[in-house]
Amino acid sequence: MRDGFSLPAFMVAASMLGYGAMVHSAGMSLPIAIVSTLGIWGMPGQVAFIEYVLLGAPVVSMMIGISLANMRFLPMSLSFAPLFRGSKSGWRWRYLWVQFMSVNTWVGLMRRVPELTPDQRAPFYAGFSTICLVAGAAGVTIGFLMAETLPFFVTVTLVFLNPIYFAFVFAAMRVRACLLAFAAGAVAGPLIYLLTPEWSLPISGIVAGSVGYYADQLLKRVRV
Amino acid sequence: MSAMSSSPWVLLIMAIAVTYLWRGLGTMIAARIDPESRFLQWIACVAYGLLAALISRIVFLPVGILEKTLLIDRLGATAFGFAMFFAFKKHIGLGTLSAAGALMLLVWARGEGIF
Repeated sequence: MRDGFSLPAFMVAASMLGYGAMVHSAGMSLPIAIVSTLGIWGMPGQVAFIEYVLLGAPVVSMMIGISLANMRFLPMSLSFAPLFRGSKSGWRWRYLWVQFMSVNTWVGLMRRVPELTPDQRAPFYAGFSTICLVAGAAGVTIGFLMAETLPFFVTVTLVFLNPIYFAFVFAAMRVRACLLAFAAGAVAGPLIYLLTPEWSLPISGIVAGSVGYYADQLLKRVRV
Repeated sequence: MSAMSSSPWVLLIMAIAVTYLWRGLGTMIAARIDPESRFLQWIACVAYGLLAALISRIVFLPVGILEKTLLIDRLGATAFGFAMFFAFKKHIGLGTLSAAGALMLLVWARGEGIF
C-alpha cells in the first residue's frame, strides 16, 4: 500500500515548492507560507490569497474570491463525509478529516474505497493525509528557502508551475459543463480583470460558471 | 478597508475560516442533499470558471515576480505545454513539465542575451 502514497505526496511537495517560492517573491514570511499551506490546504485558494494581498484589494472582495476559489470543497465534502458513516470513530472525527481533504487526498481515498472496509477508511485516510501534510510543509519550506538562492529563471518557473499544473488538471476533466466553464473562465478572466481588478475573480467565476452550466444544458437539449 | 492595510495574519485567519466554511458545510449537509442536484452542478461550474479566470489572468496579466517575464514567453510556454498535453493523450505531467520547461528555457535564454 505504501507505493500508493508516494505519487500523491510527491505531487503535493512539488506544487508546494512553487507556492513557497511564490510567497517569498511576494515578500511575505516563512510562517505565513507554512500556516497558509496547512490552514487553507488547497492550492487555488492559497494562490488567490497571495495574489489578493499583493493587489491590496478590498477585504470583502478577497474573502468572496477565496471562498469562491475553494467552493469546490463543498461538493467534494458532500461525497467525502458519507464514506466514514459505517465506522463509529471515523464518523465522529469527520469534521477534522474534512480539513485535510484536498484534490489529491480526496482522489487518493476514493481510489482505495472499494478495497477498504468502513472501519479501515479512517486509519488509512489519517496516515495518507499526514504524509501529504508533511510533504506539503516540507515542500513549501524548501521552496521558500530556495527562492533566496536560486537564479531568477528557476524561481520564476517554480511560481509558474502551480497555475499551469492546475490548467492541465482541469483541461483533462471529462465533465463537459466543467470544461465549458473552464474555457469561458479562461477568456473572461483577463477581460473582466481589465474592467475591475478587485472584483474580477468572483464576477468571472459566476459569469463563466453560469455560461458553462447553461451551455451544457443547451447542448443536452439540442442532442435529444 | 484594503487588504494591504490589514496584517497578513488577520487576513490569513479569515481566509482559513472561509475555506473551512465549505468543508464544514458540506460535511454537515452531506446526509441531507442529493449529490447529483443541479445547484451543486452549478456550484462546481462556478468553481472551475473562477479557477480558469485566475490561471488565465496569471498568464496574461501577472502580479508579482511573473510580471518580469515577457507575455510572449508565457503564452509560448503555455501553448507548447498544451500542444504536448494533447499530443500525448491529455498527459497532465507531461503538459506541466513541457510548459514549465519551455518558460525556464525562454527566461534563461533572454537572461543570457541569446535572444
